Amino acid sequence: MDTVASTAKLNNDEIFDLMKQFITEVIGEEFVEEMDITPESSFTKDLEMDSIEIVSFSEKIKQHFGDQIDFTGWLSSMDLDQLIDLNLGTIINYIQECQ
Amino acid sequence: MARFLFVVPPFFGHISPTLSIGASLIARGHEVKWLGITPLAAKHVPAGGEYILPEAELADYQEEIARILKRQDDGPSCSGPEVMKLALEETYIPIARLMMPGLSNFVDAWKPDVVINDCITFAGALCAHIKGIPSVTTTPVPPDVMGDTANSAPKIFEWQQNLVKGLQQEFGVYGDDIVIHSHKLNMVFTSQAFAGFDEPMPHMKFVGPVKGRPNEAPFDWERLSKATTPKVFVSLGTLLVDIRKEFFQKLITAFENQPVTIIAATNPDIFEVWPDNFIVNGFVPQTELMPHMDAVICHGGFNTVNDTFTNGLPMLITPIAYDHFHTAKLIENSGAGLSIRYKRLRITDLRDTVFELLQNPKYREAAIKVKETFIAAGGNDKAVQLLEDFAETEKVLEPLN
Repeated sequence: MDTVASTAKLNNDEIFDLMKQFITEVIGEEFVEEMDITPESSFTKDLEMDSIEIVSFSEKIKQHFGDQIDFTGWLSSMDLDQLIDLNLGTIINYIQECQ
Repeated sequence: MARFLFVVPPFFGHISPTLSIGASLIARGHEVKWLGITPLAAKHVPAGGEYILPEAELADYQEEIARILKRQDDGPSCSGPEVMKLALEETYIPIARLMMPGLSNFVDAWKPDVVINDCITFAGALCAHIKGIPSVTTTPVPPDVMGDTANSAPKIFEWQQNLVKGLQQEFGVYGDDIVIHSHKLNMVFTSQAFAGFDEPMPHMKFVGPVKGRPNEAPFDWERLSKATTPKVFVSLGTLLVDIRKEFFQKLITAFENQPVTIIAATNPDIFEVWPDNFIVNGFVPQTELMPHMDAVICHGGFNTVNDTFTNGLPMLITPIAYDHFHTAKLIENSGAGLSIRYKRLRITDLRDTVFELLQNPKYREAAIKVKETFIAAGGNDKAVQLLEDFAETEKVLEPLN
């Protein structure tokens, strides 16, 4: 899974499952079990991800999608409220647009 | 001899190092006072010094102060970006605003030669700037907590700048200069190596930890002397009231009946019974205790971090919020400890990590290296010398200003 992926476009459900897998790898299965991850889950509030975890998550996205997605660049263009409100759905849409 | 006024926030972790330097300044014959917005127990104030609470000017702000203090309890459950907002918008800026009238009146009356503001107590440097008094800033934590936002997060940088400039404008300071910190001398209470700075700006002076503030907390030394297993000191600092019980429950589960002695600084009332291998006190003489310890567990409060490495001890840091994550990264970089984020803290990891720190000598060796950089930084003597030189130089320059 940790290689630059095929060129096949993923649909929203597939992206969601992939994101869920990345999140589980980053924060650990037993902590994810206590969470109900949905597209509405916010990164910082619901998933309680800290900056180190968000960096590992970004690295996984980079490894998977390669240069077609500049996730870190996209994050750094946000203001605080956008970061606070950032949820999985927003990320899925962003990846969908970049593909 | 000079008059030094420390301007401090209502957070003991930030006040603590100023009490230590203040004691050293008083011993050298200087006049020293502190000014803050909440009462400070007299036992903390070094003999010969005075703590000023401008009650008349603060009378109308008591509800707001209570709200600001209560809001700090939300910190641990906030995400990183939320904490940034909580800190700047809901804490530092409002504190500066409500502090200004009383500070301004006191400065006019006492006429300090130097105003020394804590890094989050913006009113100190701002007031000094307005009145043309030289100012110095004290920074109790490794700086650069928010990172290089100017380049990495330009919108966040702009938000910070606008908030600070807005505050300055409220008090008639216009233009693009940021005057809430001293541009001439900023004393940081850690070492340059530990803080990870290769080329700090010339006004940043890393003086290392300072000590010597009054602390008369009693302690059952006899019980400690009977402990035969490795001693682990645990502190959660003076804030973080809401998670205290949960945190110490994890510790109890991890370490009761284990071959360690836990010395914990927290109010014992949170549990009816503590395990036999736990020595628990609400207040402890931390500086005197630390040399007897073998390892430390803390959330990353910087005074405990400094006490730990001053004694060359390994640390398990469990960062919760605020600057703890930055401190945790520095500790891991130094090799002197391990970090487990509080929200992802498993009991087994807690136990295994503490025994790893106790049994693997590499952490203690790295901690001793940090200690050496702390000692070389100069501590109280260096801080006093910098302040005396600063006061002297500014006096000479005064007619030219």
